Amino acid sequence: MKVCLADRSGMGQPSRVQGLKPKVTIMTVAAISVEQVSAAYGGKLALDNVSLTVPRGTSIALLGPNGAGKTTLINILCTLRRPDGGKASVAGVDVVAQPTRARQSIGVVFQDSSLDDRLSAWENLDFHGLVYGMAPKDRRARSAAVLELVELEDWRDQIVRSFSGGMRRRLEIARALLHEPDILFLDEPTVGLDAQTRQRIWQYLDQLRRERELTVLTTTHYIEEVEGADMVCIIDHGKIIVQGSPDELKDQYGMRWLHVLPKDPEAGKAILARYPEAKPLGSHALALPANDDAVADAFLVEFRDSLAEIRFQPPTLESVFLSLTGRQLRDQADGQRDAERAAGKRGGRR
Amino acid sequence: MTSPIVLLRGVYGVWLREIMRATRDRGQMIGGVSRPLIWLLILGVGLNPYFRGEVFGEVRYVIPYTYLQFLFPAVIVLNIMYTSIQFAVSVIWDREFGFLREVLVSPMPRSLILLGKVLGGSTVAMLHGALVLILARFADVTLSIEQMAMALGLMFVLAFGLTSFGVILAGRVRSFEGFGVFSNTIILPLYFTSSSVFPLDPALTRTQTATAYPEWLVFMVQVNPITYAVDALRGILIGFNQFPPLYGPAVIFGMAVVFFALALIDFSRS
Amino acid sequence: MTWAGPHRWLQAGLNIAIVAALLFAVSYLPPDTSLQDRRRDGILKVCVPPSYPPLITGDPSRPGFDAELADAIAKNLGLRLALNVLPSIGKDFNPRNWSLTRAQCDIIAGGVADTVQTRSFLQTLPTPAETGWVGISATGAMPPSGSTVAILPGTAGLDRLALSTWLRKQGLRAQLMRSPAELEQALNAGTVAAGITERFVAASLRLDTNALTMFWLDESISPRFRMALGLWKGDQTLKRAVADALELFEKSGVMLRLSARYGLDKDIVEPVSDPRK
Repeated sequence: MKVCLADRSGMGQPSRVQGLKPKVTIMTVAAISVEQVSAAYGGKLALDNVSLTVPRGTSIALLGPNGAGKTTLINILCTLRRPDGGKASVAGVDVVAQPTRARQSIGVVFQDSSLDDRLSAWENLDFHGLVYGMAPKDRRARSAAVLELVELEDWRDQIVRSFSGGMRRRLEIARALLHEPDILFLDEPTVGLDAQTRQRIWQYLDQLRRERELTVLTTTHYIEEVEGADMVCIIDHGKIIVQGSPDELKDQYGMRWLHVLPKDPEAGKAILARYPEAKPLGSHALALPANDDAVADAFLVEFRDSLAEIRFQPPTLESVFLSLTGRQLRDQADGQRDAERAAGKRGGRR
Repeated sequence: MTSPIVLLRGVYGVWLREIMRATRDRGQMIGGVSRPLIWLLILGVGLNPYFRGEVFGEVRYVIPYTYLQFLFPAVIVLNIMYTSIQFAVSVIWDREFGFLREVLVSPMPRSLILLGKVLGGSTVAMLHGALVLILARFADVTLSIEQMAMALGLMFVLAFGLTSFGVILAGRVRSFEGFGVFSNTIILPLYFTSSSVFPLDPALTRTQTATAYPEWLVFMVQVNPITYAVDALRGILIGFNQFPPLYGPAVIFGMAVVFFALALIDFSRS
Repeated sequence: MTWAGPHRWLQAGLNIAIVAALLFAVSYLPPDTSLQDRRRDGILKVCVPPSYPPLITGDPSRPGFDAELADAIAKNLGLRLALNVLPSIGKDFNPRNWSLTRAQCDIIAGGVADTVQTRSFLQTLPTPAETGWVGISATGAMPPSGSTVAILPGTAGLDRLALSTWLRKQGLRAQLMRSPAELEQALNAGTVAAGITERFVAASLRLDTNALTMFWLDESISPRFRMALGLWKGDQTLKRAVADALELFEKSGVMLRLSARYGLDKDIVEPVSDPRK
């Protein structure tokens, strides 16, 4: 069991420390606290004794391949699923004992769209406001504000069915922020979003984090999403493998890798025999740890003639994941599935 | 902890969404009209000559009403039944397409989410029943304001019970296709054995009823709760009761309470 | 159409309005061909008994309330009236024994009581005519026990047995009259304390209206019957046309004139003990 603990002072957020907003919550209470939580689906362990503490105002990313248990953890934190063991609380409220109170302080964007596609954008927001018991005036003001944030003002009376995947995502994020939650859960939030929108949304979320101490928990298997987070937890097979800021993780576990594509299977076998620490990538390619230039040089001298392709991979979180789990974060099948999903969502009108 | 107005807003929100979804969907609205048209226009008019008799006193259909008048309240119940039970599709839809989670992570208590949903579904079902009332002229049923108000009230309670029943079904059915088949195998038998298209002759005593129709059929009609719903509406709309007049409202209210309680147990568990 | 519009109820309201308008239009479709068939033949066949005064008298100059009403209806529908006189009608209150067929009659008149029994076989359109036991006395009430009461049962099938039982219970002595003239005379001369007869007979009496008052006997003795025109079930279009005609007569005063002509407008006092009051 490893405990993932982000240190606030090390997060490089001077502005937040100065501009403290008087939000009525006890400052010492962590935004998210998970203690030895386990969850199983029909005997198969989805979460294995996971512990995690997230201070207020932090942005944390759960990084891991599909099926690692990220969504299960989120479901437990937003009270949709009871943990089979352990304790979890959000904003200091136990999610099992007081689910209704816990729900008040969280906003959730699910992996799959949970908009009503027969209602307009405005009506989806209005519905959300009603269900969260917001007064009419509040609803109007907040709905307009969040619609503007995600740049959907021109679409407010349009039925959601005609929205593209990216627009739906933006609307969902807007909706999750409508009732001004303390903690925002984003389950694979930016699938199908263009870079510009993604950047804008993160900018806004960062601003909210500074001003209102909004805590953002993201699950993703996209490396690009994670680089900006204060804290990264790498999760695989239901366990937290490592935690820390992206830079720390890269420094600590990141290795430079040499990605090579052997000319033929025999060459591949020869390389594996010579370098047992090499890790196969896909069916043919191999990755060799090559932090040292000397190692790389020696390898090149020996196998120069049996290689089709060769490239250095500088330390990234992806390589951190590779060195910690011996697997690539996204296998071929994942990439394909994402592409299909994105294509499907683009099916609508833009 | 939470003020009633906040909770009421939530119920209103869930209710409003159901109304909007149902009334904006032309397909559903057309379905709501085509059924009464088929039953009253085609069946009612088509069978009319067979129920009128050519020689005085020779009719076997001895009810002091025309066949259309007799059929009219039953068609209202049929329309309510279809809309209410089809409401399960909306529940399955929410579950399969993720919208349910949006509501479940909200601070609304589950019981109120269900209440809002069922109220929404029953309002739509009552509306579909009320559409049939427009055909009253066609069926030669004259209605006063009080009759309309009483009928609408009973229709709403009936719709509430049946909608809750739809929610219970939705919890047990996994797919849309499965539900389509399922709902038809439930609705039509219930409708036909509710004394909707043929009377259990009131002029006859209980033993004579059993000789006019085989006992198993009479039994099925008598255990079918829809029978009493139809009877209650007949009582209000054309002033004709085959059973003691209190049976109908009692069964309708009973169904509403029992089915909603069961739906609540189901829904809290999911 | 994906534009929800500025107001959330707009689309919903529009859909409901379209559907309601469609149903409303449909409700004006004729459900059968009964009126069309009569129009094609140009004849309206009305079955009546030979005599059932004052609804049917058999006197060509004064044919009776129902006969004149039927004539007015036929004219209103643009049809020729064919009065079909059938001796079986009106023999008793159970029309099952009248042996009528659809081929003979479009409308049955002159003694059709608007009862549940009748409505099991016919659909009825009530007319202003109403019958039942009527009392006639100077006080407007039945005399004290021991008095003599003149009784003229008349031809309509009111329950005589129930009447005589009731009279005995009240301690009244019944004196049977043989004709309306005899009853008239007994009442005008004051030889009896009161008279009891059927309502239509009472209407035809020439009484000293300053001295005598007519009043309904309590319905517990024998229920009052509203008289009606009988139409076959399923002849909805014809029934609606006739109902429209009756409504028109009501408004235009034709009904009132006919009622006055046959004495159906005479005031009859409700019984004092009537719980409906």
